[in-house]
Amino acid sequence: MDLLLNEQQLMLQSTVQDLLKRDFTKERLAEFDSGKADLKDQWDSVCSTGILGSLIPEKYGGIGGSFSDTGVVFQELGKGPLPGPHFTSSVLAANLIIQCGTESQKHNYLPRIAEGKFIFSVAISNLNQSVNTIFEDFRLAQNGVSGVRLNIPELRLATHVIVPFTSEPGIQGLAVIPTNTYGLSIRPLTGMSTEQYELKTENAEIEEILTGFKLSAFSSALIQSTALLCSFQVGGLERVLEMCLTYSKTRHQFGQPIGRFQRVQDHIIDIVNYLDSAKWTTYEALWKLDTAQESKVGIHMAGSLASEGYYLGCNAAHDVHAGVGIIREYGLTLHTKMSRTLYSYLGNPRYHRNEIAKALYF
Amino acid sequence: MDFELEWTKDQEAFRKEVRMWLQDNAPTIFEHPDPANLTEEEYLLQRSFGKALGSKGWLYPTMPIEYGGGGLPMDLAMILEEELDLYNLALPPYYDTGGKLGSMAILVWGEHQQKSYFLPKILSGEIRTWQLLTEPESGSDLASVKTTAILDGDEYVVNGTKIYVGSNHGAEYSWTIVVTDPGGERHKNLGWLMIPMNLPGITVEPMDLLFVGGERGAASGIKNTVFFDDVRVPAFNLIGGENNGWKVASTHLEIEHGLLRSAVRGDPLTERIVEYARENKNGGHFYIEDPYVKERLVDFFIDTEVTRLLHFRNYAWRSQGKQLTYEGAQAYLFQKRSQLTRARAVLDIFGSQALIADPDPEAIGGGHIEIHQRSSIVDQHPGGTAEIQRVIIARRLGIGRSEREEPGKLN
Repeated sequence: MDLLLNEQQLMLQSTVQDLLKRDFTKERLAEFDSGKADLKDQWDSVCSTGILGSLIPEKYGGIGGSFSDTGVVFQELGKGPLPGPHFTSSVLAANLIIQCGTESQKHNYLPRIAEGKFIFSVAISNLNQSVNTIFEDFRLAQNGVSGVRLNIPELRLATHVIVPFTSEPGIQGLAVIPTNTYGLSIRPLTGMSTEQYELKTENAEIEEILTGFKLSAFSSALIQSTALLCSFQVGGLERVLEMCLTYSKTRHQFGQPIGRFQRVQDHIIDIVNYLDSAKWTTYEALWKLDTAQESKVGIHMAGSLASEGYYLGCNAAHDVHAGVGIIREYGLTLHTKMSRTLYSYLGNPRYHRNEIAKALYF
Repeated sequence: MDFELEWTKDQEAFRKEVRMWLQDNAPTIFEHPDPANLTEEEYLLQRSFGKALGSKGWLYPTMPIEYGGGGLPMDLAMILEEELDLYNLALPPYYDTGGKLGSMAILVWGEHQQKSYFLPKILSGEIRTWQLLTEPESGSDLASVKTTAILDGDEYVVNGTKIYVGSNHGAEYSWTIVVTDPGGERHKNLGWLMIPMNLPGITVEPMDLLFVGGERGAASGIKNTVFFDDVRVPAFNLIGGENNGWKVASTHLEIEHGLLRSAVRGDPLTERIVEYARENKNGGHFYIEDPYVKERLVDFFIDTEVTRLLHFRNYAWRSQGKQLTYEGAQAYLFQKRSQLTRARAVLDIFGSQALIADPDPEAIGGGHIEIHQRSSIVDQHPGGTAEIQRVIIARRLGIGRSEREEPGKLN
């Protein structure tokens, strides 16, 4: 029993902290959000830290870190919150390739993902019903993949996309399609979200089919990735708390810091409680993954608490900040938008709770 | 991060020793849904088992050996608790806040002679001690207590009233927060006094309350009003010196605000509710088949798990020597508030039948469900209300303050 970060993890933590401090300040992230700057121009600095190889085994060019190590990385990235395809590429797609790809596919894709030369997205979104529904939007036929799905994250920078499909005889699978393939188009979806797109393919030619695909392997890659998405949400919530604590001391109204008012305190205490519920269930879930224990229930619990906590925590933070909180350059709305963007991404709280009920035979 | 409680060979050897000893010494004590029903005979059995534990230093296993504790690290104490848990017993096996809270205050603040006098009595199980804090006019604002202890020669003369005191079946001592300087400045006018309960002028009257519970080991069954009329207490019994009682109290309050809960025990209530919902029907269907019931059971499960993890975190950090700040009060707040949400959900699920008490044959879960309808309300207040826990969290986080509040002294 040792509930502290180890040396390796402290090092990873400071690597990401340095990256954010140097290249992705709050001001820069606000510029990404308003379109005044483009993450594309700074993607190299993310790649140079090596964090994209965190989860990828050494024999495929990665660091071979544990889930808990990678959790530390994503918790820090969440503090930005740094948008970008780091999660879809180095966690979700990498996991799918590790679990469903052939040996040659792994050797082909994983080292490049770790370097950041290949950037993957995955055509998964709104996982609020059964996993099977993910395969319903795209059909594989002789002349390629056709279909459309909304709210796919991070397609703009992606070089490849993994598309879950159903082929004519009703068989499911995963196709790798380069994003510059003829017949593939993406459309940005603007609104109360960060980097979401519509993906449309019309007879798009596929590069590879991940032939090791089984629904169980797919589900396992998905749930493992969910645990790391939780880390990102936890990091986001942690930063939201820091912002509120600082503001509670520096903002004066009625002649005193607003944090002296118990109604303000209550909002911040709610955030701490959302945070610690999500954080400790996430830590425990990652540890269970690392020690090959039954982790499904724990991850769904973390998934539910992280989505809910980040969402409600941002609401509470807006109560604390009032008008100041909605000014883009202040930085809180980056989290608010991110909390909404991720709320239903790999399952909303209701989905996770249903899965817990099933797993416990309720 | 490592959540595994891994045991070394030495630790496993200790477990074996404990297990063997318990096979010969552990008494069978019926767990009453309502601890008020604990009989005198059962209480005496608990006390003599306490003394047996005490003779091995296992009654208060982490306290120093020189005063009769076990001098054991927290991991071995946890093994002891785990093994006792198999017998449905806790440490100590009866209500004794003198040991759970007061002994730490004496250890931190007492003079050498005071430690040598009081601690062996407490740690061996020779005496049990109640805590006397709350008064009719002083609850959340503990520092405003009115009970006076005025020095007269080498004795303090105590006058006043304390409420929500102790348990059934009496106690040998009470530690009491008193005013030693009635004209003094707030927080600098108090004393912390160990009062023998057999002194003339002390009257104990049971209170008529909705319910009195507590966790197994700490279950008290009954709360009393204690009246002091010119009770003469040796000045030797004042711990921590003149007018220093608030600081002494900060030590045991620190423990009480969320550091008491065992890291071992899960929550039997959730298990009972799930079991009943699986095995019983409502309108032709098992309760558990109802989607609403399923959702509530998942809520219970998550609540129980989060509370467990927060207590586990606190335990792990304490045993690693990391200073806790707001975490104790946070875990305590979760523990309290989840009782209320669960009580309402239970009433929603099982309807009015949840309100039927043992020994009626229609009582659900042997009466435990009805008891929870009462205890969920009662549990909100002891050890500081939910609001007080929030105040502590806010101060320790430094919300609106340039400096964070320091935790109470624990060593």
